[in-house]
Amino acid sequence: MRAKDLTFIAMFASLMAIGANITSWAPFLVIGGVPITLQTFFCVLAGAILGAKRGAMAMTVYTLIGLFGAPVFARFSGGFSMVTAPTFGFILSFILAAYVTGLLIEKSTNRSIARFITATIVGMIINYVVGTNWMYMAFKLWAEAPEGFSYTMAWSWMLVPLPKDIILSIVAGVIAPRIYRALNEQQTYNKYVA
Amino acid sequence: MNSMIIGKYVPGDSLIHRLDPRTKLLLMFIYVFIVFLANNEWAYGVLTFFTCALLFLSRIPFSFMIKGLKPVLWVIVFTFLLHVLLTKDGDVVFQWIGIEVYDKAIQQGAFISLRFLLLIVVTTLVTLTTTPIEVTDGMESLLSPLKKWNVPVHELALMMSISLRFIPTLMEETEKIMKAQMARGVDFSSGSLSERMKAMTALLVPLFISAFKRAEELAVAMEVRGYRGGNGRTKWRELTWRRMDTAFMLLLGLLAVLLWLLRS
Repeated sequence: MRAKDLTFIAMFASLMAIGANITSWAPFLVIGGVPITLQTFFCVLAGAILGAKRGAMAMTVYTLIGLFGAPVFARFSGGFSMVTAPTFGFILSFILAAYVTGLLIEKSTNRSIARFITATIVGMIINYVVGTNWMYMAFKLWAEAPEGFSYTMAWSWMLVPLPKDIILSIVAGVIAPRIYRALNEQQTYNKYVA
Repeated sequence: MNSMIIGKYVPGDSLIHRLDPRTKLLLMFIYVFIVFLANNEWAYGVLTFFTCALLFLSRIPFSFMIKGLKPVLWVIVFTFLLHVLLTKDGDVVFQWIGIEVYDKAIQQGAFISLRFLLLIVVTTLVTLTTTPIEVTDGMESLLSPLKKWNVPVHELALMMSISLRFIPTLMEETEKIMKAQMARGVDFSSGSLSERMKAMTALLVPLFISAFKRAEELAVAMEVRGYRGGNGRTKWRELTWRRMDTAFMLLLGLLAVLLWLLRS
């Protein structure tokens, strides 16, 4: 791994930490007094901008610093006890979601906006599917949920944040190529100066 | 906002503070598993005693503990309610507008919520007595056997340190960009959805670009100073395993055996 990969991955993990709670001090997305997390948004961007491998690596670093006590998860939570939290599946799924989003963009020959948007939407769907199934499993296995708790019940809770994540994924698909291009221009400029 | 880099660390010089981060990490991992061994009053009693003893030894003010518990408190309350409302076993304790609460449900709910509470208290305790940098060093040392299978343990630990270091910097940057954009007339707190999305883009695109610029500069600085991976690299912070650490691991083993014997 080159020094540059190292610093870019680390920096994206920091960006993800910012994104998880950015709305609590930049109030552009507060619904009903609750600051909305941009984790899914930053996660698909990690895959889109850094690529599959490095994006997944950035999400791994993010997950680890959160588990080891930095308050970087949504609502400034963190610490190893998050492993038992029912929502931990969403955090874990970021790694896979970033990987798949990155892969879909890397494999495409023409990097059109449509392609970026498809990739980010697929990333978001992975986030939801893995996260919700994990939540169901968590309640069934270690919270020992009683009979009345059903699979449909778990999914019905997830319908509330779904619309905002669809919109955010589309926005991610639109701005990813812009950042991508700005980054490449900066790098060619740096090469030229060097 | 500097609280990000030190996590929720509470400086101190207690017995728990002085333990090797590796001991605390192992304590945390093992504890998460042995909590699930408890399934009756006695076992939960022993676990609660052990957890309270740790809390006492750490000399962490109780208010800090409560603050650390706040974000996860809803999980505990929610789990308790889920059990109380949905379990139908044993005798009815009380009835109210069609809701029946059974005694077994209350017992089950209390046990499961206590399990979560104990888990969260111990892991929060480790977080409160260890800085994330110490934990990162501990992790690198504990996972170093994985290097044989080409897991980039050293690189992961380094990336974690860099990431922790830059979170406060990026927070300041976010604030600066926000003010700059507000001066240009961007409104962050009102407007329609599409206006808000535009405001968000105006904040995030510059943030990303500046973050990547920093990453690029840092990489150049590292290369100029001859960074070439983990092999042969010496450490600024060294970990030392003391007799106290061995004693703690033995104590934990004892607890696991005791819980196993108390199982019903």
